[in-house]
Amino acid sequence: MASGSTADDAGAKLQILKDALYDEMRQHGSEARPFSQKDLNDLNIIPNNDVNLLLSVVQRLCDDKLLVGIANHHAGMAWRWRSREEAKKYTSLPNDEAVMVYSIIDEAGADGIWNRTIKNKLNMHEAVVKNCIKFLETKGYIASMKNVEHPNKKMYIKATLRPSERATGGPWFTEGELDTAFISELEGIVFEYIKTKSAYRGSQPHAGGAASSAGATKAPKKGAVTAGETTARGTKRSATEISNDDAPTAATRTANGSTTTTTTTKSRAVFLPMPAGYKHYPTVAEIAKFIHDTGITNNTTLGESDIQQLVDVLSYDGLIERVRVGRRRGYRVARAVKQDTVPFHKRQKEREAGVGLDLPLVPGAEPLGSGLTEAPCGRCPVFELCEEGGPVSPSNCVYFLQWLELEEPPKAVAANVANPP
Amino acid sequence: MLVTKPAAELCALLIDELHGELPSRIFAILLSKGRSTVPQLAQYTSMTPRQVRHGLAVLQQHNLLFYHTDPGAEFASYEANPDNAYNLVRTGKILEMIDTSFGAPAKDVMQSLLLSGQTRVSDLVAAYKEKLGHGNQTESAVGDDPDFGVEANGVNGDSKPDKKAGPLVKSTAHLNTIICRLVEAELIDVVHAKTFESSEDVLKTVEREVMHKYFPTGVKGNKAKQELQERIAEGLRKVRGESKSLKRKLEQNGSAAKRRKLLAGIGMANGIQDEDMDPALDPRQVIRINYEKCLVDLRNRRLVQYATDMIGETTAYVYGVLLKLLTKDLPRCRADPVMDAVAEKDEEDEKGPGSVTTEQILDSLKTSVDLSLGIGKAERRQVSSTAAEKIELYPPKKRVLIEEAEVDGEASADEDEGDDESSEESDYDSDYKAPTTNGTNGINGTNGTNGTKVKFDESAAPKERRMDRPTQLRQHLLMLAESTQHFVRHCGPNEWTVDFVPVMKSLREVELDSVIERTCGRQGLRLVRILRAKGKLDEKALPNVALMRKPELQQKMLEMQTAGFVSVQEVPRDLKADVKKSFFLWFCDVDRSLSRLLDTGYVTMVHCLQVLEALRRKEQDVLETTKRTDVRGREKDTMRKSYYERYSRFLECERKLFAQVMRVDDLVSVLRDF
Repeated sequence: MASGSTADDAGAKLQILKDALYDEMRQHGSEARPFSQKDLNDLNIIPNNDVNLLLSVVQRLCDDKLLVGIANHHAGMAWRWRSREEAKKYTSLPNDEAVMVYSIIDEAGADGIWNRTIKNKLNMHEAVVKNCIKFLETKGYIASMKNVEHPNKKMYIKATLRPSERATGGPWFTEGELDTAFISELEGIVFEYIKTKSAYRGSQPHAGGAASSAGATKAPKKGAVTAGETTARGTKRSATEISNDDAPTAATRTANGSTTTTTTTKSRAVFLPMPAGYKHYPTVAEIAKFIHDTGITNNTTLGESDIQQLVDVLSYDGLIERVRVGRRRGYRVARAVKQDTVPFHKRQKEREAGVGLDLPLVPGAEPLGSGLTEAPCGRCPVFELCEEGGPVSPSNCVYFLQWLELEEPPKAVAANVANPP
Repeated sequence: MLVTKPAAELCALLIDELHGELPSRIFAILLSKGRSTVPQLAQYTSMTPRQVRHGLAVLQQHNLLFYHTDPGAEFASYEANPDNAYNLVRTGKILEMIDTSFGAPAKDVMQSLLLSGQTRVSDLVAAYKEKLGHGNQTESAVGDDPDFGVEANGVNGDSKPDKKAGPLVKSTAHLNTIICRLVEAELIDVVHAKTFESSEDVLKTVEREVMHKYFPTGVKGNKAKQELQERIAEGLRKVRGESKSLKRKLEQNGSAAKRRKLLAGIGMANGIQDEDMDPALDPRQVIRINYEKCLVDLRNRRLVQYATDMIGETTAYVYGVLLKLLTKDLPRCRADPVMDAVAEKDEEDEKGPGSVTTEQILDSLKTSVDLSLGIGKAERRQVSSTAAEKIELYPPKKRVLIEEAEVDGEASADEDEGDDESSEESDYDSDYKAPTTNGTNGINGTNGTNGTKVKFDESAAPKERRMDRPTQLRQHLLMLAESTQHFVRHCGPNEWTVDFVPVMKSLREVELDSVIERTCGRQGLRLVRILRAKGKLDEKALPNVALMRKPELQQKMLEMQTAGFVSVQEVPRDLKADVKKSFFLWFCDVDRSLSRLLDTGYVTMVHCLQVLEALRRKEQDVLETTKRTDVRGREKDTMRKSYYERYSRFLECERKLFAQVMRVDDLVSVLRDF
């Protein structure tokens, strides 16, 4: 009896010490903090620093899943505490396999873990692992997730956690897929912002404005781009009487008979570049603030680095360029004069109303043309094979005949290769 | 120059187009077989030596051949001159350029010179005399004196080319004046014995001479080697200088420009007044077109076009004036590695084309140009003049890449004064905050500049400021200097220069980019530019930077790989070289893409000419009718309606194809010659 009561006493004592130690540990750090043996001793819970007593207390706590033992290469053995609710989940599990599977998923944290890795780590039979996972899922302890880096792998994560940024891919991803619609929309907005902030909206008197503005603001259909552009250029130069250098060349260049040299004097709105040393080119921080203030992205938060990424893409696209004035790193629109003065969102509205559906809706100016890409050869799919005497040769080239308007283009292509006005 | 297959084909086609089939065939053989003698050529072409000689004579006349006779050799060996053959395609452009800068009569002379190849002055004069004889008859019939006035204006390049009323060149003296002016502009130079030798031969001869004269015992040691190099370069420069002998002679008498300036006070400088002043040219002198100098002028025009595309017309006009002033004495676009290497070393800081001051530009601007256009208005305090007026004494060290520009920015950050920074932070977002520290900031900026700048500050004080013309000009120049393309370098207070090498490099990249954007879309361009900025990049890292979906990206990359814009490198992770584990690094080699683009350009031109040939074959019957003497010149009246329609449609196609060839030449010039 006496011995029994001492055992009971000892048990009660252990229970008290256990609770005390656990509570003290919780006071001293978060769940992530490892406590070494010395740390535990220094908590002054165990009387006389009795190592054996400490051992049994810790063992009890571990049995209750309230402590997790971890092996640290530098500091040796250490423990972390676990919340009582979590511990309850562990203890409620029916068998060891489920406990092991759950603990391995738990350890993986917010990154999640691949079911194949679970199997390999535990060295269990596949069916067992599958059963356990199924059980845990129905219990609501774990959830399956998708990782952007490995979209085909079936991954699991603790149900209480949210997948980490690395796994979701950051704000640009929605449900594991790159949200291109969102990105392009945002790109349009950012570009519009930079455009209006970095260029001066003025008007320029223009004789022959009709022709040139038609060329500049409303990009003509694909096939006629060449003609429209060159005439625009030509008339602009000759009209402003800057010099008559280029007018004759333009005339010879556009020798395809598009004569749009109406001389009406009117001013048109254009964007003009800012004088050198302009200090208010928007910076990334300003753009981020603007995006935040407008509240376009109400459910995703975009940091400055995210905006930087977006701005970088715009500058790789050649739409904007970096300028450094003093120590300020701003961005300005490239080729300001060629930009569309109608805001992007208005163009989108027009599109919804059915106007200008044939124009490609991308932010920024028309790309520069060159003699090469305007000729059929520059876009020819069989360019490499084409040779005099071969199966495809310049003398039987259909693209050239269409280009020279000696032959009607086939119906399907007709939409793209429209005749110049 | 090394010739690729498409280039050789193109040269042969061009000669065929302009000079007929016989020279073209000989030229093609010369290109493919290399240096040959007449008997060899006869064998290659299965023609009689007589025919071959005929063909060679034509080629020689147009400076399309080099020949070389070894001492004691029986036959001269001939070699093709592909550079000049290619230059045939630029004929129209050169004429057009002469027309705008020297007027219609000069164009007429240049055209005759282009048609007849190298010509003795006396022959040219004789030809014009004959023409004048005809002209006088028609002129007396019309009898219009005012026409002369129009023509004289044409010399100044202001009026549009007139509708062929009377002869453009009015007298032999006028012809003389025109030739003198063109010689002074270096657009025409003198033919001498060495003109017909290829540069390698000239180099050999000079080398031999130098060795013989200065190093009879051979070259020993580094110092002697260097001296040898210098002597060779000097010898080569002397040979090159020979073709400028006429210009020098003219300059001794005082240049035409100077004489004209003296006359400017008297009145309108038209051709008649000049005639007595120009020295008569030696009638035996043989002259030809100097393509190298023509290219310099064409490059200026291309750069102006570039500036128009990037910034705006008014700024580009200013740039054009600057370029014209800057390249007046620049003989060629690219420096010769042997000849100019030493010259550069001698005068370290006087390298390149020198510089132009703001006043010089101002003096050359047309008064009709409104400089207030094309530049945005900004409040005085929104502009940091210290940053804008930054003076860069030295040209950029090496290639201007995106990341290098960044590094450059980092490095110079500490050079800036602090006051600039503080003001920028203060007016972070509110545009209409009262200027606090900024006022002083602006005045700091005037340090080191001269009077024009001070005026700027005074007039800037009121809200609505009116800038005077020099200030407006400066604004344009500063904008050019600040541009990412670095059109202009502000190399001293009020001094401006252009670093052609980096500017042309950026232009080349822009050309490449526009081709990529047109063929592979904006996303393709994005990927290429990412690779250009970051160097080699792993396939897995690319989607994150480009914000593109992986499958789309891979498809785009493959598309561009086949087009030759990007390449991939496979790096195995271990010895087994497992494909699944290997890294795939994408990269883009700009030089390779450019040379590929160049060849594509040649092929495109070849195709255009071949299409034209096919069209000619198709419309043969119509074209033959137009060749008849009774039809020629009166096609519309004499031909049947259906025939005439076919004929005019053919002409239109021909024009279009030639125009296309010219436009592709724009690209080729940028890639190869400028």
